[in-house]
Amino acid sequence: MAQYSAAVDEVFVALADPTRREVIRRLGRGPTSVGELAREFPMTLPSFMKHVRTLEGSGLIRTTKRGRVRTCALDRDRLALVEDWLAEQRRIWEERTDRLDSFVTGHQAQQQEQQQEQKEEKP
Amino acid sequence: MNPDLDLVLDRVIRAPRALVWSAWTDPSSFAQWWLPAPTICRVDRLDVRPGGGLVTRMSEDGVDFQPHVDASFLVVEDQERIVFTNTIDSEWRPVAPAPVHMTAEIKFADHPDGTDYRIVVRHGDPSSRARHHELGFFDGWGSVTEQLASVAEGLVLR
Repeated sequence: MAQYSAAVDEVFVALADPTRREVIRRLGRGPTSVGELAREFPMTLPSFMKHVRTLEGSGLIRTTKRGRVRTCALDRDRLALVEDWLAEQRRIWEERTDRLDSFVTGHQAQQQEQQQEQKEEKP
Repeated sequence: MNPDLDLVLDRVIRAPRALVWSAWTDPSSFAQWWLPAPTICRVDRLDVRPGGGLVTRMSEDGVDFQPHVDASFLVVEDQERIVFTNTIDSEWRPVAPAPVHMTAEIKFADHPDGTDYRIVVRHGDPSSRARHHELGFFDGWGSVTEQLASVAEGLVLR
């Protein structure tokens, strides 16, 4: 479980940067060479490579070298780690039930108060 | 039940069943708990009968309202059960809404402390849909990632 959390943390850190998010989005269309990717970003190749290494370290992308060309590809299994949609839906329904609970119990307390006041008003 | 796709919630609410039921069926009550504050909920339709519509809209400023839920009730048993799905909109048009399509079943029963409130939400499989529409999936995924990233950025800034 701790290992799982650490992996999730790394993915979050990797995604907490607009350049790296753009790279992920770009790779969603298919594997692309580092050179081709780098051209789309206004920064030096060494700076861009730092982002590539961070993404690779998080496991979000894999790179392979063939001759002089390094190609990046998305690892969708790692993406699935943070895309836990069922946990998100559970959270939504639990919070919704919390609100319903406090709405009806608050409502009930108000009614009881009113009844109490009415009783007190009667001699 | 499919543990990979469905969720179950079981709660005892310390209020009478009739009151919990009215919070589900009275539009002005429903609007007060359906969405988390400060988001403002507007209930356009809450026609709690089989085939009736459930349409809610949401707003951050109380002026500009965005679509939230557009669904149909399938089963309604007075003070006992409500089933609705967002795979058929309030006009009965088949739809595949984002992020997930689902059927929610809510059961109400008496409990010594109030109401036994049970929810089962059965979801369609989002990954199978994703494989069929790879590009569409990625668009949807991008918006989720934006949200995740803004959360992450918030954590980093703090």
